[in-house]
Amino acid sequence: MSAKLEALSQNLQQCLGDRVKSLKLAFGEVTLEVAAADYFSVMQSLRDEPDLAFEELIDLCGVDYSAYGNEAREGLRFAAVSHLLSISKNWRLRVRCFAPDDDFPSLPSVTSIWNSVNWFEREAFDLFGIVFPGHDDLRRILTDYGFIGHPFRKDFPISGYVEMRYDPEQQRVIYQPVTIEPREITPRIVREATYGNAENA
Amino acid sequence: MGIDGILQEGFVTTTADQLINYVRTGSMWPMSFGLACCAIEMIHAGCSRYDLDRFGIVFRPSPRQSDVMVVAGTLTNKMAPAMRKVYDQMAEPRWVVSMGSCANGGGYYHYAYSVVRGCDRIVPVDIYVPGCPPTAEALIYGLIQLQNKIRRTSTIAR
Ligand code: SF4
Repeated sequence: MSAKLEALSQNLQQCLGDRVKSLKLAFGEVTLEVAAADYFSVMQSLRDEPDLAFEELIDLCGVDYSAYGNEAREGLRFAAVSHLLSISKNWRLRVRCFAPDDDFPSLPSVTSIWNSVNWFEREAFDLFGIVFPGHDDLRRILTDYGFIGHPFRKDFPISGYVEMRYDPEQQRVIYQPVTIEPREITPRIVREATYGNAENA
Repeated sequence: MGIDGILQEGFVTTTADQLINYVRTGSMWPMSFGLACCAIEMIHAGCSRYDLDRFGIVFRPSPRQSDVMVVAGTLTNKMAPAMRKVYDQMAEPRWVVSMGSCANGGGYYHYAYSVVRGCDRIVPVDIYVPGCPPTAEALIYGLIQLQNKIRRTSTIAR
């Protein structure tokens, strides 16, 4: 592993102390996991500590781990994953934080730390239903006005619940329940056992 | 209208239908409705290499000035009301060209929750151009087919 990532890991351990839930270094990338209670304060430190100096948030996305790896899973279902970049130090970090309640996932908003996260949190809310208290404009961003459900959740059917057509009587576009059969997709993937091994690359 | 031989006579005779169709096919002004990747191919057709202008096809930014709508791309549920509104604003007679698999029948978003499975669910379509994306030649071929279709119309009323 490169000396730079080692230095980043050490700085993280030093600055965050026991707020670090886990710290992994794989594929040349550092992943930090934090508890929801510490999420906001950790993010604040990540930006403000001079040894870390993550001035920029590149991305935040939701993840639904309910069918992760195609097997039954223990533990929490929804997580918010952010990617941070430090321009002055030239290093990157991935932060993962699981939302405590599966039925009403909620994590504090970090819009007050990085402005750029505004639309990403709206996206995570729209597609996964993760709520970000502290966000001042948490509306849907991608799906249709009045859309019901959160389409990127694993239990949302691919074809959704409604489809759209023009109704000549009402002279406008209306929603109706879906009329097509759901399609079973069984991907056939043939891969060598060593596929994706870093050593083979 | 073959008018070469009779031009020396100083006058031309034709039927009103023929004249009207000649005028209509010679100036189909499309409302460009570029929605996704297909729009790039539509732009190619409009630019200097394929040059739709030589067919009298000039893209218009306003539905009030246009008589053809080229639906180029993926029509999502969120966009569908807007497209119907644009179509309703176009003056009669009006035609719709559906370009690409997405506009024809949903394409590879056919089973998706957010895409209209074919823009013919929203507006009546005259010409379907297949492909993903159809080449610029294919779109021009489709527009020529539309010209042929208009030419075959034998009444002034639609
Ligand atoms: S038909 Fe293909 S090229 Fe055209 S909009 Fe759909 S996906 Fe894009």
